[in-house]
Amino acid sequence: MKSNTLNRKNPLLSIHSFLMMAFIYIPVIVIIVYSFNDSRLSMSWEGFTFDWYLSLLDNRNVMEALKNSLIIALTSTIVSTVLGTMAAIAMRKLMSKSKGAIAGLLYMPIVVPDIIMGLSLLVLFSQLGLDLGKTTVIIAHITFSISYVYVIVSSRMANMGNQLEEAASDLGATQWETFRYVVLPSIWPGVIAGALIAFTLSIDDFLISFFVAGPNSSTLPIYIYSSVKRGISPEINALCTIMILVSVALIILAQWLLNRGNREEKKTSMLPF
Amino acid sequence: MNKKKWFAVVLTGLFALTLLAGCGNSGKETLNLYSWVDNFDEDMIKKFEEENNVKVNYTNFANNEELLAKLKAGGADYDLIQPSDYMVASMIKQDLLEPLDLNNIPNFQYVTDRFKNPEYDPDNKYSIIYTSGVTGIAYNKKYVTEEPKHWEDLWNAKYKGKVLLLDDNREVIGMSLKKAGKSNSSTNDEEISAAVDDLRNLVPNVLAFDTDSIKQKMIAEEGWIAMMWSGDAAFTQAENPDIEFVVPEEGSTIWSDNYAIPKGAKNKALAEKFINFMLDPQNSAKNYESIGYSNPVTEAKQYQSEEYNNNHMINLTDDELGRTEWLLDVGDKIQMYDRFWSELKSGR
Amino acid sequence: MNKRWFGILSPVVLWLCFFMMVPMIAVVGVSFLSRDTVGNLVWTFNISNYTRFFDPLYLGIYWDTIWLSVLTTLLCLLLSYPLAYYITTAGPRTQKWMLIGVTVPFWINFLIRTYAWVLILRTQGLVNMGLEQLGMISEPMQLLYTKGAVLLGMVYTFIPYMVLPIYVSLEQMDKRQLEAASDLGASRWSAFWRVTLPQTKSGIMTGGVLVFVTTTGMFVITDILGGAKSQMLSNIIQNQFLSARDWPFGAALSVIFMISSLIIIWLFNRALRSKYESAKEARA
Repeated sequence: MKSNTLNRKNPLLSIHSFLMMAFIYIPVIVIIVYSFNDSRLSMSWEGFTFDWYLSLLDNRNVMEALKNSLIIALTSTIVSTVLGTMAAIAMRKLMSKSKGAIAGLLYMPIVVPDIIMGLSLLVLFSQLGLDLGKTTVIIAHITFSISYVYVIVSSRMANMGNQLEEAASDLGATQWETFRYVVLPSIWPGVIAGALIAFTLSIDDFLISFFVAGPNSSTLPIYIYSSVKRGISPEINALCTIMILVSVALIILAQWLLNRGNREEKKTSMLPF
Repeated sequence: MNKKKWFAVVLTGLFALTLLAGCGNSGKETLNLYSWVDNFDEDMIKKFEEENNVKVNYTNFANNEELLAKLKAGGADYDLIQPSDYMVASMIKQDLLEPLDLNNIPNFQYVTDRFKNPEYDPDNKYSIIYTSGVTGIAYNKKYVTEEPKHWEDLWNAKYKGKVLLLDDNREVIGMSLKKAGKSNSSTNDEEISAAVDDLRNLVPNVLAFDTDSIKQKMIAEEGWIAMMWSGDAAFTQAENPDIEFVVPEEGSTIWSDNYAIPKGAKNKALAEKFINFMLDPQNSAKNYESIGYSNPVTEAKQYQSEEYNNNHMINLTDDELGRTEWLLDVGDKIQMYDRFWSELKSGR
Repeated sequence: MNKRWFGILSPVVLWLCFFMMVPMIAVVGVSFLSRDTVGNLVWTFNISNYTRFFDPLYLGIYWDTIWLSVLTTLLCLLLSYPLAYYITTAGPRTQKWMLIGVTVPFWINFLIRTYAWVLILRTQGLVNMGLEQLGMISEPMQLLYTKGAVLLGMVYTFIPYMVLPIYVSLEQMDKRQLEAASDLGASRWSAFWRVTLPQTKSGIMTGGVLVFVTTTGMFVITDILGGAKSQMLSNIIQNQFLSARDWPFGAALSVIFMISSLIIIWLFNRALRSKYESAKEARA
């Protein structure tokens, strides 16, 4: 089914991609290596130790922050991916004068400087009398993530024609069926890419979270940014190493589950997951 | 089917996490402590929790300005915060602090007289000192062979590209003002411009502006000579014994971090109890020695180790402290400082 | 028909109106106010906060910011496009893994990643030590706290923002066209220029917008890898809210910043749409 034209690999292309992957992973390797470094300020190599992994488990501030970050990132990713995808699908079909205004609104969270977003949301929440906590952080993260998902899913649909959808409805598919079996599969890589970006943004956001977080909802970036003053300890490197390992393990698990499902259904998945 | 399964995995994980999050919220009274990272010895916090059967909820901010912006915009219910000296003054002016009841904090008597009734909060109505330090020159003996005695030494062409400055407009312009023999909180336009012009000649020598990780830059010997806080210098020396610290003769800036209670705090009494607990000479000895900052409780000396007591970067002499000045609020002139700072850093 | 699409849009629109529009209207309001000595807002209408921006200092900083962002975006594009292309040419299994491989490192905290670059680039860092071992240099080079280090950090940080959208559009590309092109004897390069590149325009544009706009708002990298020796517009904005305590001026700067970013996005989109429309016409 797939043509071989694209598979004629150019050696330069392979070398470039290899170097790019190396570029992406060099800092990761440095982080992992330094998580075993026996020095508090991690500036030079002082010998191998496993202590940071042990003391990490005792550091309740870090563990609490990690837990909060994961809850916030997962929830906001799911909600914003659904909302952003809906927006992208509807915007493609919408024929209305207000389309430009709505597009502006959808782009807004991308262009708002973080500090403005954080402060103004904090003022809004305190005017509404909302208690600051995980909920307020999740609301804020959903607000900025929606736009990124929308933009990416839209770009996926930019070159998509209407033919398949029309054919499906001509064949008597209901709107839901058309969406479920025609539209969704064709935009799915965009949805996944949007979700990946949303998760990355949420797990990494500092300034906005700082302002809208309450005493019970400190996130990992807040902890890490505040740690800079004392010097970030290798405990954080250890934590990052664990996070990388856990995410890879989770992805492998999901992959395995999917493959099992696929084998049962004798269908190849066209999804990145 | 497969997609459903994938979602199921995610949802189950999410649910489990939410359950986890639910744990640990016991009915205990809670102290919401909002401070710099690792500013207290964990064991002392545990001791306080056990003695009073309460929970201390300790979260962090990274700088005074973010703390202020957050409180001003109506930020969360914190019971105890730790702003620096000038920030205490601004917060008092903006009516963001609750007056302290010193009757609930009998251990306040142990605080050394030098740090009672500070200029930024006369009569300790709103704040009590937690720790303090002085801005001075840290240098690496390997590269800076002659002991620097004056701020002028940072301008020495020998150190081109090896000078580190704090990334803080008031500190750096204040330093230049001090060098010229003026007050570090000058509001005189001419004095400020002259000080900034002087700094323009220093910028080519500067390797980097950095407040937070300046220590690492000195330890790794990227910089040879730096404008640094005494407490940070003590940290750096512990990691790299070649580093020394002096308080320049024309004097410098002193700073402090303080206890204060934000307006409308729900648990004021518990916050005062916590302050009192930490000011107890024995408790304070253990706490400060563990975090490595200077202890304002003189009574604690007998409980502290020789090594801590003899560290001249943690325990500054009266002579050194005598030639320092607090940074005071400069009112509208802060905009002038801010603009000059942007000019200096962007080289325009 | 439109009614249904409005219905689907309404949750998003309501959400954004409430959590984005309302606060932004307040920000615009504040940008016309003034402040008192302690930094409290004073309710007198004036436009001086906007006129203050037209000062060689701030305009110069704005120019620097835009310039750095353009450079970052272009470099990101040049480096990411071939990578995204390579990913699409791989087999389905490898594709998944490479896509995940590109994203996962960016789940490590941004600050930690940036400090890892400090460890690599500093005078006693990996690069200098490696080169010294190889005898290529005798004195360590000053790599950190330079414009090059800032650019490197920026490009590094925004790679996934470029790779993902380009991958998404490459992946859906109609490969038969490329085959047709090569059957007709087009060289690989000209097939790429005339067939592949135009079809992935939407991905390039999306990546470009994401990288460009996000870099203009980024200053932590200039502070850490550039030694805080230059100022970005967002430094200035942040300073107004924090150290200078001049919220109205900060709000005005933000409004200017947002409007200019929206104009840039609009221009990008227009360029994209005209291309898309002409492609459609060509097909018809």
